[in-house]
Amino acid sequence: MNNTITLKPKQEIKLAYIDNIPYEIKDGETILSFVKRYKGKKAVPTLCDAPNLDPFGSCRVCSVDVALAKDGPVKTQASCHTPVMPGSFIYPDSDRVQKLRKNIVELVLTDHPLDCLTCEVNNNCELQEVAARVGVRDVRYPAGKNHLDRKKDLSHPYMTSDFSKCINCFRCVRACDEVQGQFVLSMAGRGFDSHIVKGQETTFNLSDCVSCGACAQACPTSAISDVFESKSIVADKKVRTICTYCGVGCNLEVAVKGGIIKSIQAPYDAEVNTGHTCLKGRFAFSFYNHPERIKTPLIKRNGVFEEASWDEAYDFIAKELTRIKTDHGSDFIAGISSARCTNEENYLMQKFIRAVIGTNNIDSCARVCHSPTAHGMQETFGTGAATNSIVDLKVTDCIMVIGANATDAHPVTGAKLKQFALSGKPSIVIDPRKIELANYATYHLQLRPGTNVALLNMMFYFIIEAGLEDKNFIAARTEGYEAFRKNILKLDMNEMERITGVDRELVKKAAIAYASAPKAMSFHGLGVTEHSQGSFTVMQIADLALITGNIGRHGVGVNPLRGQNNVQGAADMGCQPHQGAGYYSVSDSLNHEVYENFYQAKLPMHKGYKIPEMFNASLDNKLKAMWVIGEDIAQTDPNTHKVVAALNNLELFVVQELFMTETAKLATVILPGASFFEKSGTFTNGERRIQAVHQVVEPLKGTKVDGQIIVDIMNKMGYAQPDYHPDNVLKEISQIVQFFEGVKWDELGINGKQWPVNKGGKGTQVLHTKGFMSGKGKFIYKDFAESQELIDHGKEYPYIITTNRELEHYNCGAMTRRTKNVLINTEDVLLICAEDAAKHLINDGDMVCVESPRGKVDVRAKITDEVKPGILSSTFHFPEVMLNNITSDVHDSEAMCPEYKVVACTIRKSKGKYKEKV
Amino acid sequence: MSKNLSELSGRKGLRENLFEELGIASSQSGTPSAEKINTLSEEYLMGKANIYGTATFYDFTRPENKGKKVYVCNGSSCLTAGTQRKLKEKLSKHFKEEEIGEMCCLGRCHENSSFNVGGKNYSGNAIDEIENIKNQESEIKDHYNVTVKGTPVLTNKITSVDEYYQTLKLALGKTADELLNELKVSGLRGRGGAGFPISFKLESAKNSAGNQKYIVCNADEGDPGAYSDRYLLEQQPHSVLLGMMIAGYVMGANMGVVYIRGEYPEAIDITQNAINELLSKKLLGKNILGTNFEFDFKVIRAQGAYICGEETALLSSIEGQRPEVRVRPPYPTQQGLFNKPTVVNNVETLACIPYIINNGGAKFALIGKGKSTGTKLVSLDGFFNKPGIYEVDMGTPLSVVVNELGGGFKSKVKAMHIGGPLGGLVPIDKINDLTIDFESFNQNGFLLGHASVVCIPQDYPIIKYIEHLFQFTAHESCGKCFPCRLGSTRGYELVNKAMNSDYKIDRELFTDLITTMEIGSLCALGGGLPLPIRNALQYFNEELKGYFK
Repeated sequence: MNNTITLKPKQEIKLAYIDNIPYEIKDGETILSFVKRYKGKKAVPTLCDAPNLDPFGSCRVCSVDVALAKDGPVKTQASCHTPVMPGSFIYPDSDRVQKLRKNIVELVLTDHPLDCLTCEVNNNCELQEVAARVGVRDVRYPAGKNHLDRKKDLSHPYMTSDFSKCINCFRCVRACDEVQGQFVLSMAGRGFDSHIVKGQETTFNLSDCVSCGACAQACPTSAISDVFESKSIVADKKVRTICTYCGVGCNLEVAVKGGIIKSIQAPYDAEVNTGHTCLKGRFAFSFYNHPERIKTPLIKRNGVFEEASWDEAYDFIAKELTRIKTDHGSDFIAGISSARCTNEENYLMQKFIRAVIGTNNIDSCARVCHSPTAHGMQETFGTGAATNSIVDLKVTDCIMVIGANATDAHPVTGAKLKQFALSGKPSIVIDPRKIELANYATYHLQLRPGTNVALLNMMFYFIIEAGLEDKNFIAARTEGYEAFRKNILKLDMNEMERITGVDRELVKKAAIAYASAPKAMSFHGLGVTEHSQGSFTVMQIADLALITGNIGRHGVGVNPLRGQNNVQGAADMGCQPHQGAGYYSVSDSLNHEVYENFYQAKLPMHKGYKIPEMFNASLDNKLKAMWVIGEDIAQTDPNTHKVVAALNNLELFVVQELFMTETAKLATVILPGASFFEKSGTFTNGERRIQAVHQVVEPLKGTKVDGQIIVDIMNKMGYAQPDYHPDNVLKEISQIVQFFEGVKWDELGINGKQWPVNKGGKGTQVLHTKGFMSGKGKFIYKDFAESQELIDHGKEYPYIITTNRELEHYNCGAMTRRTKNVLINTEDVLLICAEDAAKHLINDGDMVCVESPRGKVDVRAKITDEVKPGILSSTFHFPEVMLNNITSDVHDSEAMCPEYKVVACTIRKSKGKYKEKV
Repeated sequence: MSKNLSELSGRKGLRENLFEELGIASSQSGTPSAEKINTLSEEYLMGKANIYGTATFYDFTRPENKGKKVYVCNGSSCLTAGTQRKLKEKLSKHFKEEEIGEMCCLGRCHENSSFNVGGKNYSGNAIDEIENIKNQESEIKDHYNVTVKGTPVLTNKITSVDEYYQTLKLALGKTADELLNELKVSGLRGRGGAGFPISFKLESAKNSAGNQKYIVCNADEGDPGAYSDRYLLEQQPHSVLLGMMIAGYVMGANMGVVYIRGEYPEAIDITQNAINELLSKKLLGKNILGTNFEFDFKVIRAQGAYICGEETALLSSIEGQRPEVRVRPPYPTQQGLFNKPTVVNNVETLACIPYIINNGGAKFALIGKGKSTGTKLVSLDGFFNKPGIYEVDMGTPLSVVVNELGGGFKSKVKAMHIGGPLGGLVPIDKINDLTIDFESFNQNGFLLGHASVVCIPQDYPIIKYIEHLFQFTAHESCGKCFPCRLGSTRGYELVNKAMNSDYKIDRELFTDLITTMEIGSLCALGGGLPLPIRNALQYFNEELKGYFK
């Protein structure tokens, strides 16, 4: 029989037969995927198969009959792991396989509690569905050994298990391994006695579980589930939206019943997260209707907040803003937009500040995180955004992760990076801490905090020394290389080794691994940017890609891991004092004219204040009013005492917030905003992907969508702006932001589009494929410079504390502390190595007083090998500690991003009341 | 199977082998401590659950093994010989009840009554000297016949190692392709049971990309009744090692792993000594015999799991993963041990290679019958007048083996279980229909397997033997695939209930059960068990019909 069709010369199509009808096969596909493609997703019943897991072959329910020739001998094969043979004849529903499936499921039911009606997953159970489908009517076996008496595990705030319902499909074990890479679950025992264990037969709560919920989502029954019963919930509706807990941009499917959010699942068809998400995205949603939500505008009178109506509040604000503008001028007013808010809201906020107030004093939290990335990448590549997509991890040959603890801060991308490291391909981690990824990486360069520039210069040196530069790429697409090269070769590696504290041979090996990989990707986070040399480090990371030709293709590039869900968008929308929407300089007269015409307003041409400059201006009485949306600057900006003094010095301080944060407490007027569950719009993730955020529930009574609040005040102050709707704002944005040109609300689809989006609506996965925005890529050499913090205080304060994030909490914790996450991670702790702890007679769990030139905090010690001697680390998720009391206002020389990562301090055991703290 | 775990285990690989660590951690107390498991999980980054999951899998590392000091063989041959009960009685005078465990099987099928104590095996009348054995005052070696009828490929005594390894010199003087061609011409097929041509595997691994490749010897001779691999390892270890080195040279592997079952302690020691001898003669390491060829060996002591005879389970076992059968593809020759290209072959198969290289593939192909070339070792159990290991040319009539070589039976036998627990149950009147080769057994509805012969005496109830087979499979099932995990236990329960009560087994249910296992199971354990059961139903229907309705 001829099993190929000849279309054009040399083009052949391979065929196989389903029930004797020929269909085209794809190379290397399994029988299951082949049959499903032509006969529908449910064409073959399965139990152990799952969309995001490798074929496993345990349940055998997917078996089909296969003959290698028509009417040839038939063999039963498990379709999930058997490749389709060209020319084979597949019978997915022969009598024999139907009987086989029924008999297998009957066996399963001999060891399953047949309590479907009271089971959590009744009507939503894959076993039930398969049993119904194969038509089991009777369990013919006499009662025998079984596992029906297994105890439930209800120990964990979120995860639950009831292994009497387990069918041993291994999906949970595989999810924990192949998706999260956590290895918490395994089978134990053997044969009939084999059973799922967490750790060594412990509970979820006592295990090393990171509560990602991948196992629960993978489980076909209720053997593993969560307290929200998310996979079985009978909801009024399920709404797809985007998570707000980091810049990864996971898609969430939110179940709503009676107007209340009940649970969240991760959709399998999401390109960003493919059925996965972390405990923040999946479980930490209950903050949204927490009793502490602010539900009415509040005006502070005589130091006390009084409830006010919206009109009252708007009148009060409009009057005050007008007064300050008239008395002092527009530049005495400033706004900080929120990277937690939508693109549309950010656009409106900067428009309000610029077109209505008349100042460029607009900034966003990008200032305190990735402003050096935007600056550094603009200087070298011309565009301040990730060059590639996370999906490129599937095709790259090497990764370099610098200053990013992704498994905690970007858990879904972190899990993918971990999977890459587990694959054994070269992976380089550059971090002062032995972060989780470092354990799995090929190279961990554990440098002293603040020496990124020195370390990367070492890498350049060794790459050049080994002759591994991509000479063709350098010649064709870059400039400034010769001078750069000369400067690098002048460096003394002994000196650099001493500065960084990293063995030069190790650096050399890592450099060679990066440079000799056919495709290498870099990822960086705040460990790069939050330094006095933050922008310079970003330029070096970009130049490392240039010198090795790792730009403009799939599987390469420079990929900042953006912190907040829409921090990319906040900058794109112009929430920066020097660039308007779409990154056009406000000081350029041509741009200025375009903006003035577009906004139909008079705009200033001089740059506005960056966030740290706003605080200085307030202290100098040059700023009288500030408007902050959803940003707890009092808890999270460095040098708390200074920030609080600056905010207290304002005449008007408007805060849009969900909760009474440390910042809100200082406000003159608090406007109750809405959470992301309560609004629609778009977020742009760290890979430039504009995704649709859909309103899941109505804003809590008394609160308003933040975009509408801004529209209201714009109108109140005499600027006609239509009511907030993502459709119309997005339309406006697409007319001024060039790379949004083809973005339309209705056309975003389930996976969004990556900018630039052309007029035809086509997005872009890889930037700089042909050229750079600025023409050529620039080599910019920078010498290492010690942080001023250490020069000024290093002697007196010999320890360095570097700040970080923990998986369970998000930033100031305003949201996560109002969920059960707080039961899993209960407080900020101080990471300290055993050697330093011993020196100060500190035991694990003792309270430690950490003092810097700015102030002191008391925090509980956790002795660990994560940090080297002389280095400490902690978080600022909890206002009880207020770690930013000690951080400094030293900042990046270019973008003014604060240096959270290098703080000089001393330590001692806590005294007095702090000692007793439990 | 987990690619991630294979990779993580591979980081320490064979140097600081996780599986070996677990074995060492269990050697004194019977099972690793919880603290040890935690330490190992930190060292190997593989998670506590996985390390614990592995430890709980094996007979000699699982928590139930804690405190065991002596083990009674519960293999088929000892079972049908009926020696276990007496043995246990005698042992219980010297050991506490909880100190007595079971092992399956010790490969002393030629004289039964076998037990393991102090890391050594004993059989026959040795039990009467248990007091001396306990005090390590008695060294008792077993003796069995070793005879060749036809061409001595495997049983020629190796007198001089130096002389024997001239064959290696000969091999290294040729190209890998030339050697591969000889193996192709020889028609050598795997002796472990499946009969797959070795040249296919070697060629596939040779063509797989990668610098690191492995040749693995499957010396997990778990079939009760079989002890021919034990014979080779204990008496002809160099034939196996040399075979591995040549196979390694052909496929491009510089590392050979000999995975030997823990039930064969003497075989482990002897093989290790043979490797040490090669080391001292500089026949291992770099630049062997002045060539660029480098090679080393690692002996892995298995920890008691029949499933490890399945090649993918065996690879997971070496990695310290749970030895659950893997799906194919990927095939081990593409992604095997530590995700590297690997060839796994049986002891006897590898031991044939030196003969082929010395004499040429064509000469080997001349021995035997049809597609079954070469010779075959046959293990005869204690029911024969002359139990032992017999090397016969493929195609030799079974009657010759039974009557001439084995000298007939000591007492009346109604069936022989040939080829291990998954082999066919051959009724005594079929003896004249069969010849020792793959095709003859297949065509008659049996399986040559590893050619071990366990006799079932006239008075031994077939139903009891079926119960034993289900019980064996239930005990040894890895638990991965549903049909085997559930089916073997339910099958045991059905038979047990019918034996011990008025319960009659529904024939349709029973047929459904064995068909489900046969066509639904992932590997040959669940898939192979139905063969002897079908044979029993066919040939012993009269005896069995009372148990069915």
